[in-house]
Amino acid sequence: MLQVENVTIGYGKTEVVHNISFHVKKGEIITILGANGAGKSTILNTIVGLHQAKEGSIRFQDKEISKARPDQLVQNGMRLVPEGRQIFPQHTVMENILLGAYIEKNAKKIHSRLHSIFERFPRLEERKNQMGGTLSGGEQQMLAIARALMTEPSLLILDEPSLGLAPIIVGEVFALLKQISSSGVTVLLVEQMANSALKISDRAYVLETGRIVLEGRGEEIRNNADIAKAYLGNV
Amino acid sequence: MQEIVTALANGSIYALMALAIGIIYSTTQIINFAHGSVIMIGAMTSYWLLSIFHMNYFTAILLAVLINIILSMVIYKVSVEKLGDLTQNSSWIVTLFGAGIILDNTARILFGTEPKAYPFLFDGHVISIFGTKIMIHEMMMILVAVIIGVLYQIVIQKTNFGRAVRAVSFRPDTARIMGIRSNRIVLMCFAISGAVAAISGALIAPITFASYTMTYSVGIKAFAAALIGGLGNTKGAFIGGISLGLIEGIASMIVPGGLKDAISFLIMIIVIIVLPGGILSAKLFTKGELKTEKI
Ligand SMILES: Nc1ncnc2c1ncn2[C@@H]1O[C@H](COP(=O)(O)OP(=O)(O)OP(=O)(O)O)[C@@H](O)[C@H]1O
Ligand SMILES: [Mg+2]
Repeated sequence: MLQVENVTIGYGKTEVVHNISFHVKKGEIITILGANGAGKSTILNTIVGLHQAKEGSIRFQDKEISKARPDQLVQNGMRLVPEGRQIFPQHTVMENILLGAYIEKNAKKIHSRLHSIFERFPRLEERKNQMGGTLSGGEQQMLAIARALMTEPSLLILDEPSLGLAPIIVGEVFALLKQISSSGVTVLLVEQMANSALKISDRAYVLETGRIVLEGRGEEIRNNADIAKAYLGNV
Repeated sequence: MQEIVTALANGSIYALMALAIGIIYSTTQIINFAHGSVIMIGAMTSYWLLSIFHMNYFTAILLAVLINIILSMVIYKVSVEKLGDLTQNSSWIVTLFGAGIILDNTARILFGTEPKAYPFLFDGHVISIFGTKIMIHEMMMILVAVIIGVLYQIVIQKTNFGRAVRAVSFRPDTARIMGIRSNRIVLMCFAISGAVAAISGALIAPITFASYTMTYSVGIKAFAAALIGGLGNTKGAFIGGISLGLIEGIASMIVPGGLKDAISFLIMIIVIIVLPGGILSAKLFTKGELKTEKI
């Protein structure tokens, strides 16, 4: 579904991601692990079109997308839940969700998706007229995910969804991702919290200062304490 | 009483001008330095259509609005969009100033240097309310400003487009991953800003005379009103505009005519020093304001 090949990315003259390749198959949950500053967000932002790669090719559903705009990718079924959730704090919860459906012009579709979103996230329905900024961190993460689901993406990309959340909430988020995945959505995940992420992942890549240094099945990497220590520091 | 109405009427138009600056500022964080020129072009083209083509007021202003919409979109395309990420460079200061100067010079060649008497709405008809003689034109200035101000707030608060404008203002990149084409939204904001500029230019021209120098004589007040109300605060724009109108009105009663503008700008400078975020940033108005989200 997604093929990243020999991609190099930088800001100005500094290169931060060096010639990396990885792929995501339909239906999989893939995790990219890496410490702070490894280049995880840079890779995701480049995939969704917010940033341009210097070199290499990115293909999504067999189409070259390295030059595509974010709105075109949303239209084609790709969605990013960005790092730190980035909900709109001065829009209501309802407005945040509707913004997620911005490209959808069919009112009926919006209505029925809203219905299923609220079924899945009753907390958001209770708080739909509250400002986004008044939600708790966990609720904001749910909102960020709900907002992304409004276009029924085929590939959902998440940048550190566990960031700043209490362990119990992290558990909820990963359970939710597992559930979203089993409803047919392919998931690409970037995390520092290796353990919980690897538990739900089919495969994982380990990123170290802009290079992929390891690749394997989720279980393998999780059970290999040496690898974990070497590349991830604390797990 | 009459003076107060005049001050309010002028203030309403300053408010519209400040609103137009705020519309662009809120989505781009840039100040459209060509805005004075755009106001002037609105006044001059509608003057031309009125006096040379003998169109009626409504058609003339409508056409001037259309011309200004196109003009503003061109300004965006040429002087702003081409620059790329506006947070990374300040070239827009030069390109927008440049665009303004090009417009001023063009207007000077096209329309001449002589200030033109611009007709009042309803032929300057005056009605008497509670013994005060008030020009219908002045009432229209206030009315039109209020209608545009209210309409703008409704659009911004209640529509899909408005939600997107607020999203782009707050977090352009996050808006883009929602599928919003931030550039399109900004282009639309330039268009709206141009339309509002045409209307404000046409309504103030009977009072100031229509001339290519309106860019400075009137345009500068747009920036003053915008700053007093708080840049990018589209509600504050009205506070700023009305305050400026009243300050001017009071100043012209107590100091010689030539000092009126100096007093207005002195007060503007004081407001900016005391309340850098504009009048609405005063403690009185910011109770319970939402801060940013939790991380
Ligand atoms: N806009 C930018 N301009 C310049 N350098 C940047 C920019 N964004 C990121 N970088 C640099 O690129 C490198 C990778 O950053 P990135 O945000 O991709 O890391 P990350 O793996 O997502 O880290 P974290 O876990 O902290 O989110 C860092 O060295 C960072 O300083
Ligand atoms: Mg990151």
